[in-house]
Amino acid sequence: MTIRHHPGDEFLLAHASGAGSETVSLIVGTHLALCPPCRVKVASMEQMGGALLAGIAPAEMSASALSSAMAKLDDIAADKPAQSSDPLPPVIAPEPLRSYIHGDIDRVRWIPIGPGVSYRPLLKRRDARVQLIRTAPGAGVGTHTHRGEELTLVLTGGFTDVTGSYRRGDLQTTTPEIVHRPVTDADGYCVTLAMTDAPLKFMSPIVGVLGKLFGF
Amino acid sequence: MTKTDSPPPARLNDLVVLIAQSRDARAFELLFGHFAPRIKGYLIRLGTSGAVAEDLAQETMLAVWRKAALFDPARASASTWIFTVARNLRIDLLRHERRPDFDPNDPAFVPGQEPAADALMMRDDEDANLRIALAKLSPEQAEIVQMSFFADKPHSAIAAELGLPLGTVKSRLRLAMVRIRAALGTLP
Ligand SMILES: [Zn+2]
Repeated sequence: MTIRHHPGDEFLLAHASGAGSETVSLIVGTHLALCPPCRVKVASMEQMGGALLAGIAPAEMSASALSSAMAKLDDIAADKPAQSSDPLPPVIAPEPLRSYIHGDIDRVRWIPIGPGVSYRPLLKRRDARVQLIRTAPGAGVGTHTHRGEELTLVLTGGFTDVTGSYRRGDLQTTTPEIVHRPVTDADGYCVTLAMTDAPLKFMSPIVGVLGKLFGF
Repeated sequence: MTKTDSPPPARLNDLVVLIAQSRDARAFELLFGHFAPRIKGYLIRLGTSGAVAEDLAQETMLAVWRKAALFDPARASASTWIFTVARNLRIDLLRHERRPDFDPNDPAFVPGQEPAADALMMRDDEDANLRIALAKLSPEQAEIVQMSFFADKPHSAIAAELGLPLGTVKSRLRLAMVRIRAALGTLP
């Protein structure tokens, strides 16, 4: 598996710095599980965080802070490094996504919303939503554009639009300038993890599917 | 900015390892003296009030005590690791959100190259190179990097605040990352 489409540095940094919301980290963190090169980038970004922390102007702690912390130490049990457990059968949804589904993709109760399209909402924070979307071979969600940015991570199968082909691990970022009509590849169902931070705009009235997907 | 009596970086790593190995309270005291005021300063930069920043700095240091066995000096310096502990606690306790992240023990995890055996020796050099590279960024790049860590906003909001197109913010960030990664030797 070679991943060809990665999140932009701004999303990796949002994850590394902690500025990104849970929605961004769910999709970026799931991509990272599948993408060693992006993990190297994020490690460099966390190292930047460490350097900034090391160089920051210290703010004096109150006189009792250390002693009150020291008084608690004996009551704190140490965490142990996680042991690799027995290998599980191959899974499609890596952590952190699997915790949000409470299992693998086969556990998802899909909600049909149009011909060949179903979805399952996972997370909503302020304006951003994350959902799983499942499309049948040849099916699509229609022509649309975005008011904000949309991130779409392929978990299984693939889809193709004017910007290219996307397979497992590939992450597509769409912006308001992009009008696209993703169509599912012919080789099977495609499951994606998608985040939108603003409602989508429809280019044609036949696409009621998207209205249901994104809540209007 | 760093006080002259602060332990050198390698010593800071050793202090975390001492806590992991023998729950060394003296090591905790030294780490606390170095990091707690910096974590508090970091949180205040993020807009947290002094009282809350103090509590969270203390909680972070207690989490360091609890999680010390998870620290791997071959993967990160003490500063970097403690930064991630503080970051995650802030998300948990102040933002009340989960912190979704990958799990290297997960069966679907795609492994990459593990850090080399001599990585431990190189980490401290890397941190020194990184500080130099950060200091050498252009003022425009440095501003975006600083805001990415301290403004607690998405890049669209940073762009709006600076009155710049989002594309400009992204390209400044991209250029900054190329220079940082060159200094760290992590460019592909
Ligand atoms: Zn990637």
